Amino acid sequence: MNGAFSFGSYCPGDSPLHRMDPRAKLLLGCAFIAAVLCAQGFAALGVVAVFVLAFYVISRVPPSKAAKSLAPLLFISLFASLLNLFVVQDGATLVQLGFIRISEGGVRQCLFIGARLVLMMMGMSLITMTTMTLDLTEAFERLLSPFSRIGLPAHELGMIMGIALRFMPQFATELVTIRRAQISRGASAAGSPAKSVRMLVSLLVPLFASAFRHAETLSAAMDARCYHGKVGRTRMHPLRFAPRDGVAAVVIALLFVCIFAVNALV
Amino acid sequence: MIDSSNLGFTYDGQTFALRDVNVHVNAGEFVCILGGNGSGKSTFAKHINALLAPDEGSMTVDGSDTRDQQALYLIRSTAGMVFQNPDDQLVASLVEDDVAFGPENLGIEPSEIAARVTRSLAEVGLMGFEKHETHALSGGQKQRVAIAGVLAMEPKILILDEASSMLDPRGRKGLIRVCRELHETGLTIVMITHFMEEAAEADRVIVLEEGHVALEGTPGEVLVRTDVLARLNLEVPFACDFSVQLQDLGVDVVPCVHESALIEQLRKAAPAAFPCADGYTVADSATDDGGVLAANGVEAAGVDGDARTADGAVAEHAEREGTPAVCTVAPQKLPPLPRTSVASGTPLIEFDHVSYTYDAAMAKRQQKALKRGKAVTDVQAERAKWGNDPDELWAVRDVSFAVMEGEFLGIAGHTGSGKSTLIQHMNALVRPTMGRVLVDGKDIADKAAAAQARSLVGVVFQYPEHQLFAATVFDDVAFGPRNMGLSEDEVRARVEESLSQVGLSFDDVQEKSPFELSGGQQRRVAFAGVLAMRPRVLVLDEPAAGLDPAARRDFLGMISDLHKQGLTVVMVSHSMDDLARLTDRVLIMKEGEMFCVGTPAEVFIHADELNAIGLGQPCPQRMARKLRDAGMPLDMSVLYDEASLAHEVAARMAAAGSAPAGGEGGAR
Repeated sequence: MNGAFSFGSYCPGDSPLHRMDPRAKLLLGCAFIAAVLCAQGFAALGVVAVFVLAFYVISRVPPSKAAKSLAPLLFISLFASLLNLFVVQDGATLVQLGFIRISEGGVRQCLFIGARLVLMMMGMSLITMTTMTLDLTEAFERLLSPFSRIGLPAHELGMIMGIALRFMPQFATELVTIRRAQISRGASAAGSPAKSVRMLVSLLVPLFASAFRHAETLSAAMDARCYHGKVGRTRMHPLRFAPRDGVAAVVIALLFVCIFAVNALV
Repeated sequence: MIDSSNLGFTYDGQTFALRDVNVHVNAGEFVCILGGNGSGKSTFAKHINALLAPDEGSMTVDGSDTRDQQALYLIRSTAGMVFQNPDDQLVASLVEDDVAFGPENLGIEPSEIAARVTRSLAEVGLMGFEKHETHALSGGQKQRVAIAGVLAMEPKILILDEASSMLDPRGRKGLIRVCRELHETGLTIVMITHFMEEAAEADRVIVLEEGHVALEGTPGEVLVRTDVLARLNLEVPFACDFSVQLQDLGVDVVPCVHESALIEQLRKAAPAAFPCADGYTVADSATDDGGVLAANGVEAAGVDGDARTADGAVAEHAEREGTPAVCTVAPQKLPPLPRTSVASGTPLIEFDHVSYTYDAAMAKRQQKALKRGKAVTDVQAERAKWGNDPDELWAVRDVSFAVMEGEFLGIAGHTGSGKSTLIQHMNALVRPTMGRVLVDGKDIADKAAAAQARSLVGVVFQYPEHQLFAATVFDDVAFGPRNMGLSEDEVRARVEESLSQVGLSFDDVQEKSPFELSGGQQRRVAFAGVLAMRPRVLVLDEPAAGLDPAARRDFLGMISDLHKQGLTVVMVSHSMDDLARLTDRVLIMKEGEMFCVGTPAEVFIHADELNAIGLGQPCPQRMARKLRDAGMPLDMSVLYDEASLAHEVAARMAAAGSAPAGGEGGAR
């Protein structure tokens, strides 16, 4: 049942990617997305693909585990690219079925968007796979902290994110149990719409009830362990930028250069 | 260390949850606080680390008043608290981050935090768990991580608020061991519990009743007050209850907490009843004793052949004058442990070489192999191959048995032994990767048969109240019948019927929201929701988990009644006593395989095998074994319940010429 939740879950390791400062990873991750968006053709995406594969090799994340955590994301990108297939009307018509018309441009666009999304997600989930959630939230918090002067609760947002991530696998497990219990009582998603709605309610209400129950104890448990916000709090692993973060920045810069070069050449 | 004087607290300003509580705990003490639900024990615990502040009187912890806001974090780091539910008190996804959470809040230096994390994890026996994910740990491990998180703050007091109540026996044992070890290092421990075995470990026991202290003293003083404890809906330790039963049968013993102390008393009172005691010599009054014993062997009630041989051995020894004879109890031959299912009757649910794995890819490969029409021998060869597979791929492995119509089948085994997976096969929630499950003769691999299995077999999950969802009790119970497509009249009739079956009044509760009810009532409603589908088989996964002793008794009584009304019941339980008392047959799972299945009498007499897999025996049987080890030649091939053992022991004591045991005699 542990397989119920695997998206982006942390994959322990000691590669250079694991040891990078999470702030650097987050910032460079954003830069990476920008780079992928700059890519204007399949050739440029090919360059991105080479980089992404290199990152995966460096990260030493077992391919099987990477594939497992990517599977649900691939589903989303498939959906998005299929949308393009039907919406984009460009070039010669390939298939015409009633009002559905699939054009050459549509196919092209569909493949392009699909590839782009897949690469983007592969890159981003590499961050979650090589970074512990608490580090990630810490980085998130630190990056937002300049905005705390204008009233943004950066520390609290980071904490909320961390706890949300901590409870996600738990809720996934609980959802499986609740679903099985309701199925034992004859619930099924198939059948009339009324029945489906009833099924959905029977899953969501217990899940929310459980969330509230957890929240109540959790807050007491945090109080009991002297949690009182950001003031005077230290970290076991304080974040420090290291030379390898600079190297990573150079690599991403290189990625930009390559993409622009390919864009210009092709 | 902890001083409460005239402590009073109220949640709503009207009724006091605590009133006039005066409790003093010295540094280094191990104190246990007992009480039924609503006795205020958890409220008191929350006062110790200033999660709550008293409305009356005062609470001082290590010299600081808990109402002093300045000292708040000092108090909370001095008195660390571990909560009941292992699932909702861990903050971080990784063990080390969670343990570090407390010291981080206290602003400790990073290098010191890392050292403390390593040290605290070692203290709770979780060395090397730093990088493990918290959600993948077992309940007992999670609780120990929570303790490590407290220890990392270097507290002087550890408070456990029913920290063991949601754990299985193995997790509970580990937790107790950790507490004992920490106590030996000088930590003050306050443990709130309703388990008596835990209370017996403490230096001092405090019993709360409706917000005030009802009893206080050493376990030996408090736990033997069977009258008061019964009134408070608390159970007494087995040794206490048993000694009271012996008293009623005219054996002169003082109630005591530990079984070994009770045996010691019995032995002192009538050494002749323990002819085979270690170090017992017959040199002094050899012939006399020998004579009595020989007579014993023939006359004492219910004495078996084995006892005779043992007694005979002593008599023989006695004849050899002068040599101090040390008699050993002759090893008794037990019937073999029943490994396969041989019950008679009509099978309702049949498991035919069922294996199950969560690894879907493996499962698919397997099914393909079967579709390609592999010969049965190939499958068997493959099974053998997988049998050697050490990576615990299989949640259930090659299990064959049948649930008979009308029987009460108990299932025991450790967490992770495959019990839950096994019972989910019974109504086709999961389907076997290999083998077949037949429900009422039909293979659940078939969709129609699976649907039928669901209406035939009602499964009640662990903590079923967590699955309640509807706006009213009526709607919740009606969920099942409505899903079956019954008419509103029929639905109503079924809701009424099932609510009365679980002992709730239809008129009182039907309009209420299930979330307004008490925990025990919620569980009853959830039960009713399954009964309303009129299943022929009721499958229960630890129905009494997390209940206090009184609620637990009511619940098991209800289940037993349902069985008497003709329902076939399958119950998973961690309590060997419940299983021995209630079930017709017991099935024991071990690491995904069926360890044995048979009547309680066939299964529970095998102490060595049960201890080897860490399950243990029911209390009376364990006591009987201890008595035998102490030298009383009891027949170990029969299953004792408390009454039959008491009678047996009393008869032997009487026959041995039990005399008042000097200074120790005289019951209170």
